[in-house]
Amino acid sequence: MKPTVAFFDFSSCEGCQLQIANLEETVLDVADKVNIVEFREVMKEHAEAYDIAIVEGSICRPMDEERLRKIRKNATILIALGACAHLGSVQRLGNQWTAEENKEEVYGKTIPEVTDDSNPFFEQPRHRSLDEIVPVDLVIPGCPIDRNEFVKVLVALLQGKKPPIPDYPVCVECKKRENVCLFTIGKFCMGPVARAGCNAICPTYGLGCEACRGYVSHPHEKAQTDVLKKYGLSTEEIMNRKTMYTYKYVEKQQEKPREKEVKA
Amino acid sequence: MKVITKKEFHGFIQKLINNSAFNVEGVKAKGEKFVFDTLETADELRLDYDVTILPPKKYFLPQYETLMEFTTSEPFENKRPTQSKKTIIVGVHPYDIIAIQHADAYYLDDEISEEYLQKRKNALILGSDVLTVGEKSFFGAMGTGEVTDGFDLYLTDLGDRVVIDIGTKAGEQLLSHAEHVKEASKKDMQRVQKIRQAAIQGAQRDLKLPPNKWYDLLEKNRESSVWKEESDQCLACGTCTMVCPTCFCYDVRDEVDIDMQHGKRLRTWDGCLLREFTAVGSGEIFREDILDRYRHRYYRKAQYLPNRLGFVACVGCGRCSSQCIPDIADPVKLINMITDASSYEPLETTATPQSLSLHIDDIKQGEALHEPLPATLQEVKKLTEKETYFKIALDNNEPFLFEPGQFVEVSIAGIGEAPISLSSAPNGVSFELVVRKVGDVTSALHRMKAGDKVGIRGPFGNGFDVDAMKGKDLLFIGAGLGIVPLRSLINYVIDPRHRKDYGKVTILYGCKEPCEMLFGDEVAEWDRRDDIDHMRTVDTCPEGVCWEGDIGLITALIPKATVDPSNTIAVLVGPPIVYKFCNDILLKLGIAEEDIIVSLERRMKCGVGKCGHCQINGKYVCKDGPVFRYADVKDLPEAFT
Amino acid sequence: MSTVSVNVEHLTRVEGHGNIVLNAKDGTVEKVEWQVSEAPRFFESFVRGRPWDELSFLTSRICGICSIGHSLTSLKATEAAMQIPISDQTGMLRRLALHAENMQSHILHVGYLVAPDMFRVGSVFPLVPDHKDLVLKIVKMHRLANELSTLVCGRTTHPITMIPGGFSWIPSQRALLEYQQHLRDIIPVCEDVGQALLDNCHMLPDFSRETEYIGLTSDEEYALYDGVIASTDTGTHPVEEYESVANEFIVPQSTAKYTKHHRDSYMVGALARFNLNSDQLHPLAMQWALKFQLKPLCYNPFMNSIAQVVEYIHSVEDGILLIDKLVEQGINRDERPSVQVKAGRGIAAVEVPRGILFHDYTYNDKGICTKANCVIPTNQNHNNIQKDMEVFAPTLLEKPEKDIELNLEMLVRAYDPCISCSTHYLDVTFV
Repeated sequence: MKPTVAFFDFSSCEGCQLQIANLEETVLDVADKVNIVEFREVMKEHAEAYDIAIVEGSICRPMDEERLRKIRKNATILIALGACAHLGSVQRLGNQWTAEENKEEVYGKTIPEVTDDSNPFFEQPRHRSLDEIVPVDLVIPGCPIDRNEFVKVLVALLQGKKPPIPDYPVCVECKKRENVCLFTIGKFCMGPVARAGCNAICPTYGLGCEACRGYVSHPHEKAQTDVLKKYGLSTEEIMNRKTMYTYKYVEKQQEKPREKEVKA
Repeated sequence: MKVITKKEFHGFIQKLINNSAFNVEGVKAKGEKFVFDTLETADELRLDYDVTILPPKKYFLPQYETLMEFTTSEPFENKRPTQSKKTIIVGVHPYDIIAIQHADAYYLDDEISEEYLQKRKNALILGSDVLTVGEKSFFGAMGTGEVTDGFDLYLTDLGDRVVIDIGTKAGEQLLSHAEHVKEASKKDMQRVQKIRQAAIQGAQRDLKLPPNKWYDLLEKNRESSVWKEESDQCLACGTCTMVCPTCFCYDVRDEVDIDMQHGKRLRTWDGCLLREFTAVGSGEIFREDILDRYRHRYYRKAQYLPNRLGFVACVGCGRCSSQCIPDIADPVKLINMITDASSYEPLETTATPQSLSLHIDDIKQGEALHEPLPATLQEVKKLTEKETYFKIALDNNEPFLFEPGQFVEVSIAGIGEAPISLSSAPNGVSFELVVRKVGDVTSALHRMKAGDKVGIRGPFGNGFDVDAMKGKDLLFIGAGLGIVPLRSLINYVIDPRHRKDYGKVTILYGCKEPCEMLFGDEVAEWDRRDDIDHMRTVDTCPEGVCWEGDIGLITALIPKATVDPSNTIAVLVGPPIVYKFCNDILLKLGIAEEDIIVSLERRMKCGVGKCGHCQINGKYVCKDGPVFRYADVKDLPEAFT
Repeated sequence: MSTVSVNVEHLTRVEGHGNIVLNAKDGTVEKVEWQVSEAPRFFESFVRGRPWDELSFLTSRICGICSIGHSLTSLKATEAAMQIPISDQTGMLRRLALHAENMQSHILHVGYLVAPDMFRVGSVFPLVPDHKDLVLKIVKMHRLANELSTLVCGRTTHPITMIPGGFSWIPSQRALLEYQQHLRDIIPVCEDVGQALLDNCHMLPDFSRETEYIGLTSDEEYALYDGVIASTDTGTHPVEEYESVANEFIVPQSTAKYTKHHRDSYMVGALARFNLNSDQLHPLAMQWALKFQLKPLCYNPFMNSIAQVVEYIHSVEDGILLIDKLVEQGINRDERPSVQVKAGRGIAAVEVPRGILFHDYTYNDKGICTKANCVIPTNQNHNNIQKDMEVFAPTLLEKPEKDIELNLEMLVRAYDPCISCSTHYLDVTFV
């Protein structure tokens, strides 16, 4: 009996689902091993219950929460696909302001009847990851996900094995690829605390890791800050680097959004 | 000693590159750094490099290596990848040559790794003198700045000419591809010495203590505050172990394609700094604290490996020092800090040059250490909720010879491999295992039935010394799952054929609750027999459950046994926490440390002392253990954590 | 029938979330609406306070399919704000990246999202048993585009190598030449796929409504990376005047934000570009346009998909030429940007698969972004979709409800809307 799989998306760029389409021929192999019962981006079909729900996107409004809870109920296994579902991704940076401030900045003060909370499409938009709403069984991290990792996870699930998502830092994979360490040429990289599994793709192409896959499960936080200071980064710069994808962890340390003034 | 002009040398290298029988790897630039990589043209070769990002160990122990390929339907039709071309590695510095010899001593010991041997036999090493000393290199202080062997050819770039030392017949043959090779003049040789000594002098870095003193320094300073000071900044990123030429630990995992048919068993570099390095299936991590992991690396280099192989496992290349982001991996820095902090006074300061000789040509054949033999499950019986009994026989129908206390590696193609203790006494073709379901392999095993196939490697490890026990009284203490390996010894001893060789036999068995008791029938038999004293206990007994034994911890049971401490050997097997308390009691009873036997467990991937996961300080649980005398492990800080 | 009620919630086979509502009674349409329900992510708000070297990586996340386009527009805007120069090599490599995205997006749209409608099936999967050859060819064309993205940008989605002023990593000459051969090899495959689509082209509705088309135009080439704004009605406008072209306004009786320029609405995208610049297409692309009987000015939105096929072929041809030029000039793999951080405002426009995209940034003297505005192509199309629906829907009323639904869906799909993009900043209509 092939397990049934359904894809869903919330607030995202849909790049993670696109990676699955980018599997090219392999997508046919995947479709052979599982029964895809819903995948709005490429199919018309719709389903009421499924073994595996794969969800991309962060959760923004009460109407999204409701839809997610329904999916959780209909699914045996819920997989968070990508940084939006895992961490809230970059849009979570908007949580630094209140929902009102964000709406005002983007839409202006002119259309309150559209943008106020009485309109469910605009109700209290505030981005959260899936696990802040419902229990999540598995995360496939990354922005976007690595499509080969997706296949590996699927294969492991079919085998009844623990999915092979590493819990060691990007440095391990970067060193195995014999990249020139960006720190040794005066640049900055989140590699030492970011979760591997991407094969250190960004440092390989000369760009410092942005920790889009989140941190390893036990990052040595104190060491992290000390190292950043050693490299001459100011506290503000440190906060910037630590918040692009991982604002979730910083946000949890702050009780409510603060007044953020950006000087022109 | 020969010499050729630079132009001829280029021609020589280019000729080798153009020759389709060779794969020429040499040092070339990568951005501002250097790496060993395939040479397209001789111009790319940079003999003036300081140090490469990764050492040449990657040619013999690749970052990712397919050990075997299989299909899940025919898991024992293994395909072993083969290599046909000869690899020539150009520009290997003396310290890296020595590091390769370290790797030889490690991989070609009593368990010769076939994959490693083949790569070594297939490679030609062209060493070269250091012309630019790396900022963090200290090979001069480590005695690794010059070599007399370990190379096929050795090059010294004098600028306009290249002096070539011939190391082996193969090297000589290779050199025949070059043109206008002349004898080196005395002046040439002098220039070579000048360059070599200049490099050695330049690679000292004020190391305050020579390597032959490091053992002692570390022995006296395990509790130094320096460890915390430095490890507080450690990110456990794994860089130091990845770039080190004398780090050899690895992990093995299975990967299967989306067709759910084709798969492979893959070996990849692992490192002791990583948190999961010592994690076992149940989730326990035996070296979890970052300070312990940080410190372990230094002890391995300066104590454990020297103990085992006779050399300090650091060649002073400076890779870890230059690539560690918080700069705490530098042996010079660390040794100097501890020396200062402890006011250690060395007696003399000269470094003795290192030299090892293991002749590759003398070694004929290795073993595919990771390839299992096919076996069939004869019987599968569920004992408790989490434990299942298996009776297995190798398909080759030969008697499976082993010692009680040893273990096997059970392999399920596509899922992985797990170490399981043998639970029966040696008895012909079949053997018994009792497996607790904790991880991928054990869960998959639990789903199998009689007639299914698994792979078996082994037996491995140091077993119980049944001969040394002869004539003695035996006190067996099995706590929880510890009864499983202990049973292999018990069944051997109480077997009518052997029983008379041993004195009094007392068996103490304890577990958490009655439902967790294993081997009910056999336990009842221990009760019945006159020649066995038996007591059992449970920590707690739930309401309404029938239980006739004691209630309480197993430690309470020990004093109740009547033992003659002068003639008793106690054999104790159980989870880590049990050892601490039981050992105290046994010692109090008057049993000598040498007469207390324990069986320890750690994560064991290879079973042959190579992957590095099972280390308890300097001991390999898979080779020196799992069975140990308490006397031999009581001083190991990591033994009973 | 007297009452027709169509309510398609979460339209399938489009990127992002949208609904179609149609109520008709006795042959008259009472209400027909295109609604967008995607959740807002407020990019223009949260990029404030972020440094200049991060902007393109943040804004590429506006869309998974057009990530290269957003990244390029973002980089151009930052470069305009700080007067950062770029080399010819960078310009050519960026054009290759944009072609990769165009190819990828177009073939995904036509092959996976539209073709099923042309063959009357629910998705690409049912096409496999009877048309496996065609599907595999479409996959091959898709893979080729992905290979180019990976070659120039490091991966297919969310480019890594493109930074303000140039690249953090540049491919080798050998790799580019190898890829160029793949481009040559794909041409017969394109022709086969083109033929299959031509054979089924009659399945696309024959609908037409006079419309204004807006896109980039340039004297040098069929404009995608650079150019000035052009309209089929009003001629050219400088990019800096984008706000007066893409006027955003609110219709009093509806809460949707629309854009309009010369008429009530306008269209952007492949068809718009074709209508503006078809004479600059490369020869084979032009040939195929003729085969499909696609000529300017074409007012049938369904032909947008055909224009995309033509653009794919053009991109293949242009890619071959660009690589020739790059190799002739000699690839400098060590070239790196030179940036002087300063305060300023920069506006940039790039043609992404779905149409013209604008990014407008303001930076302070520390290089921190203080204000941002992005106008997304799909957003510029929403109004046009609405207007098209208003004219198209009445013509469908005689058909069975399922057919009306399919035709309306096909109309929306024809625009290849990228709704996630357009709702970084949202429009909504409720019933």
